[in-house]
This record gives sequence, structure tokens and C-alpha cells, in this order.
Amino acid sequence: MNTPDHLQGHLPADHRLSPRWQFRHLPLIGRMLADYPAQDLWQTDFARLPRALARQRQRARAFTEQHILSAADELDLAPHLQAGECHPTARRILSEAGKQGWLSYFLPAPLGKMPWGTVVHAPIWQSCLIVEEFSRGCGGLMLLLSAHHLGAMPLILSGRVQHILKLLAPVYRSCERGDPQLIAFAITEPAAGSDVEDGHGAQTYHPGVVATPTKGGYLLNGRKCFISGGDLAKTATVFAALQGEGMESWTCFYVDCSDPGYRVARTELKMGMRASGAAEIELSDVFVPTDRVIGGLRNGWVLNRATLNASRIPVASMGVGFARAATETAVEFAQHYKVGGKALIHYQDVQLHLATMVAETRALRALVWQEARLAWKPRQLHASLCKFHATDRAQRVCEMAMDLLADHGARHENRIEKIFRDVRLTRIFEGTNQINRLSLIEDWQPQLLDPDHPAGV
Amino acid sequence: MHLDTEDSQRLLEELGRFSRERIAHLAARPHRPIDGRQLALLTGEALDMGILPPSTAESGFGIWEHCDTAPAMAFNTGALRHIAGASPGVAFTWHRLALARWVAVQLGQSLGADDLTGLQLVPTGHYGLARGSLARWLRGGALETADQAMLSDWLDRRTHTTTLYAPEDWKLLLWPVWAGVHVTWQLVDRQALSVRAEKAQHGFDELAGFSVNLAGEGSAIAMAPEISRTLFTRLFKLDMLGLMAIGAGALDQGQTLARAYAAIRRQGGSAIAAHPAVQHMLSDIEIARQRIDMALTALAQPVDTLDTGAVAAARANIAPALCHAANQVMQVHGGIGYMRDAGPEKLVRDQNMLKLASGGTRDLHAFLAGWTGACA
Repeated sequence: MNTPDHLQGHLPADHRLSPRWQFRHLPLIGRMLADYPAQDLWQTDFARLPRALARQRQRARAFTEQHILSAADELDLAPHLQAGECHPTARRILSEAGKQGWLSYFLPAPLGKMPWGTVVHAPIWQSCLIVEEFSRGCGGLMLLLSAHHLGAMPLILSGRVQHILKLLAPVYRSCERGDPQLIAFAITEPAAGSDVEDGHGAQTYHPGVVATPTKGGYLLNGRKCFISGGDLAKTATVFAALQGEGMESWTCFYVDCSDPGYRVARTELKMGMRASGAAEIELSDVFVPTDRVIGGLRNGWVLNRATLNASRIPVASMGVGFARAATETAVEFAQHYKVGGKALIHYQDVQLHLATMVAETRALRALVWQEARLAWKPRQLHASLCKFHATDRAQRVCEMAMDLLADHGARHENRIEKIFRDVRLTRIFEGTNQINRLSLIEDWQPQLLDPDHPAGV
Repeated sequence: MHLDTEDSQRLLEELGRFSRERIAHLAARPHRPIDGRQLALLTGEALDMGILPPSTAESGFGIWEHCDTAPAMAFNTGALRHIAGASPGVAFTWHRLALARWVAVQLGQSLGADDLTGLQLVPTGHYGLARGSLARWLRGGALETADQAMLSDWLDRRTHTTTLYAPEDWKLLLWPVWAGVHVTWQLVDRQALSVRAEKAQHGFDELAGFSVNLAGEGSAIAMAPEISRTLFTRLFKLDMLGLMAIGAGALDQGQTLARAYAAIRRQGGSAIAAHPAVQHMLSDIEIARQRIDMALTALAQPVDTLDTGAVAAARANIAPALCHAANQVMQVHGGIGYMRDAGPEKLVRDQNMLKLASGGTRDLHAFLAGWTGACA
């Protein structure tokens, strides 16, 4: 098949009026200032990354292409599994991901698999790069591999070396051996979604999971819901109030999911991200020894908020991954689908549509990288802003892809309908995008309330 | 036979009862959609009640049987809205079934009840709306060669795959094909088609997805160019009106869900309906409802007095608002709204299906450009 040398409505690159041709024929200094290689856009951003992070991004892409993309369809369409069951394909991918270090990349060797070259960069940035690649392949598998890091985050953010050495390092080692020991993050309760993510709401909330002191530890009772990966997790960071106290007493407990009294009551029938289960967990007198109180008593609320600040930028990166998948799907469709005897890509309105999509996607990536790059201590305002904006706009990009595919947009085999179902969750979890907007304002208060200095933006 | 406003109201009330008591009952568990057997049963009841026309020979007050007066048009869209308020997928099925019967009558085809229940209609081509070419043909006058080529390609049923969402057991397909200078129609037996069942589709869980190609030549029903244009113009308008009405019904269902949930779900020490963040989303839903109400009221006119461009513009305007409203219904629900057993997520998918049906809405811009005089 002959490849055309230009799209309709545009000049070929070797035309005398093409800037590309002109640049190549400028004198040396002119070429140095104006000529550029027309690289693939992914490669362009790849080249802008520090080398160690670029390598991680490349590895994540390779893992996605080898393991995730090929399994996405199968896991999305598989029958709903009972709590505790794991699809063999998901199990295989989890094991392989563990061996390759995708379940232990928040700590460097010998504790984890974070490449030493990346330790000089904010770990959130590395996480964003990986999450984008995995999301591009399959939202469900991305979540299966990423929710574990959310569960582990309170152990790291507690700042207690013994938690990291005694609790997290063995989990990481097991994952690297190919025996994944997933950790779930359990904050949401049936009566509290936003209330466990927003201080204003939390102050009036009557906690649903309560820890009662007992000899040598605590007994946990209550229910948690919508716990990503909670159905397969071996351990969980569970947040509970102390008996007789309010949300100020919230404490993080590291719970062994095989302990008596811990039961996965059900897993949800989700719209998308189906390769990852969302579990409802029932806790009935689950004993947690004192040495598994993470970060100290009554420090759960701050650990929760710090964890959300750390996780919301990677959630924004999920949006980037979905927007990218949608854009790539739309481009491929436009390159191949013919209307009136020519591929859609030759029509000007289609070119405008794709240009908007790619601009949106790259603007989101720029936003995420800008905030992630310096997210050693991720600020709530930045994290929330990234999360709600990137995911709202990412859904818009997915809708644009669907619109471009038109009559063919609803067909599962064209991928975009699944991408839409996956991206839709990112506007709800890790705090709805409404709560994230309020979270931005909460953190901005010192400037907003300062009568002497106008708030800078 | 004519339908006045009072008759229309009485029929709609009856249909509303049927939708609530029969369809909504079966659709009450969104993760277990109405299956093929139940859909056939409901279709049989709808035929018995006269909601759907029984055959091409008999006449009554079924959906799309009468399109020549404002009350009749209000009844048609009102009926689909009621049905969609219980199940957008059922409404879509019956909309297309009733339109297929309407086209068959216009074509002078004689079809009995058995044929009709297995009949499916594809009102458009393989992708989009043939850019501006369809609009230029519908406007009348001589067509440029480029427009003819575009329309020929758009309705080329052999080369291109047509997407169809229909009950599993459909038997006959009615679709337009291009006959050199105008549209003609083919009534094709399923056996004469190359049909591939899709693994899955985005929404309309009550239906199955198919990729369809014409296997052989297929014979077209001969007709004069002017009749062809008039018929297609009417069909095109009725189809878009039907899709909007179904979207309105899905919106009604979503609005009811969102209001009910916002009234009982407590966060921040009060029902979430008290929070401006939620009120804003509920208002978005209400704004979309007002928009679709205004559009459907304005478009409740005899089909021949409706401007095709106005209907197309209304669809382009309304479809994104309906999708946004469905998303806000889900967002009001938070996490539970994402779950298949709750309802909102199905409405989001069904609104997307409506937006993508019949060429989608993106190509409506090119259509409108053609309609308002732009050249090829």
C-alpha cells in the first residue's frame, strides 16, 4: 500500500513552502535556532525526562504492551468473580508485575525495587509515569497494580522505620519473589464517602468503624466499602476511631486480612476498571496488636490526608493515560476508516478534532508532571487541582474519541467504550471532584483570608 | 383518524401506567437487564395495547403511525419518553420497530405481525451523516458528482460494515441504499446478510450488537426520486426526534434517582441535597430537562412543517446536555452511582448510545453546513 506524502489540506514536508523544508535549508545558525526533529510525541516527552525516570517509563510501557494490553479485554468481559477469587490472567500479571518491581517501587534496594537513579526525584513523579502507562493499557489492571501502593502509603508516611522494615519490606520481598502480597487502603464507610476525605464533613460524622482497646491491642468492628483491591489483599491499612471518641481519634491499623473476624462481604459490580475488585469489608472483633498501630494513636486523620495528597497526583495521571489511550484510538481509527473513499484523517474537521484531543492530553500531562516533579511534600491544593482537572478533562477527551468513532464508538472491540467506563471512575474515587475542589479551597485559605495581600494565582 | 390533545393525553397516561407497572418492574435491577424473552413478551403486550402498530395493513394510534398533526407528534415523542423513563433500551427498540413499520407502509410493503416484530431498521449509512452531502441531497436540486460519490459510499452496504443494535432474534432488515441519484430501500432477510455478533457493546444492555454487510447484490424497492427524498427527509426527522425523546425519558429517570438519593444520603451533617455542590449538579440536570422540554415542545409539529435543519440543530444541542445530565446523576450518587446495580451508570451508557446512534452527533455540524448552503 502506498503511503501518501501529505494529508489533504497540507503541504508535503519536502514542498518549498513547507516550514520543515525551509528549516532544513537555513544556514547553520538558523538551523540551530529553528530546525527540529519531528519526533513521535511520546518520544519527545521521553527525552525531556531525567534518564532514570525515562527508563522507568520505558519499562512500564513495555510491561503494558507485553502483559496489560493483551489481557484488558479478557478481564473486562470476564464474569464477575466472588469475593476472594482472582482471575488466572490477573494472578499471572500480578505475579509478573511483582517480579519486575511494579509492586515495590516506592523504596529503593535492598528494601524495594525503586531504581537508585530515581531516588533523587520525587517518588510521586515516578509513580505518575508508571500509572499513565498502565492506564493506557487497562484501567482495571492499572488499579489492581496501583491500589496496593495506596495501601502501603500510610506505612511510609508514618515515618516510623520499624513499620517500613518489619511490615512493608517483607511485603515488597514477597512481591518481588512473584508471590504478591497486596495491601488495601480502607477509609470509606457505608455512611461516609466524602466525610472521610474532608475535614468539615468529618467533624460531624459519627465513625462507623470503631477500635476498642483490649489486652495487647484493639478489637476492630464495623464496615468499610469500595475498597479497591480489598478482595485480594493480604493486609490492609484500616482507619478506625477509638471507642467513645470522634473522628479526631482516627487511627490507622495494619490488619491481617486472614485474621478471624475479617470478612470480604461482597465485591461491587463496577461500570469499568473491572479487573480490580472493589470490596465491602466486614470487621467483627478483628484483633490488631498494639505494634500494628501505624503512626501512633489518633494520627490516622493526618495519615489519611497525607496519603490522599500523595495519591491524587497519580490519579490525575490515570486521566492522562486514559486521555492518551482515547486519543491514540481516535487517531488510529481516523487513519484507517474511510469515508467517501478517503481516510477520515484527511478531513479538516477530523484534523481539528484530533488536534484538540492531543492538545488536551498533552496539557494534562504537562500539568501532572509540573506538580509531580516537585511533589516531595505534595501540597493538598496542587494534588486536588491536578486530580479534578485532569480527570474531568480526560473524560472529555474520551467523549471526543467516542464522538469521532460515531456509529462505531459503542462497539467494545473499538476500545473507546471501555476507556470511557474506566475514566469515569477517576472523577469519583480518591474524593469526588467536587470534594477535591473544596479541598483546594481549604488549603488555600491562608491566602484567601489575608486582607493585606491579594491572593496570587 | 385524528388524535387531538385530549386523546393524546389520555393515551399517554395509559402508556405511563404500562411503563411503570410492566417495563419499570422488569428493569428494576439494572445489572440484570431485560432479556430477549422478556423483551419479546413486552413487545407482544405493546402490540396488543396498540402502542406499536400490529401490521402494515391495520391502522391505529401506535407510535409514529400519525405524524401529520402537532398532537400526534406530541403523542409519539411523549410515548417514547414514558417508555424510556422505564427503560431507554426498550424505548429504542420500539422506536426503531415503529419507524420500520412506518417506512414499510410508505414503501407499500405488506408485513404482518410476525414480520414486524422481527423487523429492524437502519436509518443511516455506515458512518456519520455523509458529511454535507446528505443535507444537499435533502435540500433538492442537482447534486455535484462529489456528493453523489459520498452518498454512494455512505450507503454502500457491501463494502462497509453497518452497526446494528437489536434484539437477538431479528429476522428482516430495512435500510436505505443509494441508487445513482437518490435513495432507495432494501428489505433484506437476515439469511441474505453477512452478520457478525459483537462481543459486547457500551449500552442498551437489553439488545445485542451486530456488524452487518450485504452478502450479495440485494434488490431495491423502486421509487421515484422526489418520493424518495420526501420519505427520507421525514424519516430522518422522526428518527432524530425519537432519539431526543428517549434521551428525555432517560433524563427523567435519572432526575428522579438523583433527587431521591440527594434527599436521603447524609454527608457533612446533613442531607447532601443541602450542599451547594450537589444543588449545582441537580440544577444542571434540571437545566438539561428544561432544554429538552423546550426542544420537544417546539418540535411537536406536523412532520412536514418541521425544518430538517432545526431538528438536526436541536439534536446537536441536546445530546451533549443529556449526557452531561446523566453524568451528574452519577456524580450526585458518588461511588454507588458507578455500580451496575444502582442505575445511574446504565443511564450514562444509554445516553452515550443515543448520542452515537444514527450517525452520531459530531457529523451534524457538517450536515448543518450542507443544509444551510455550504458546497461540497
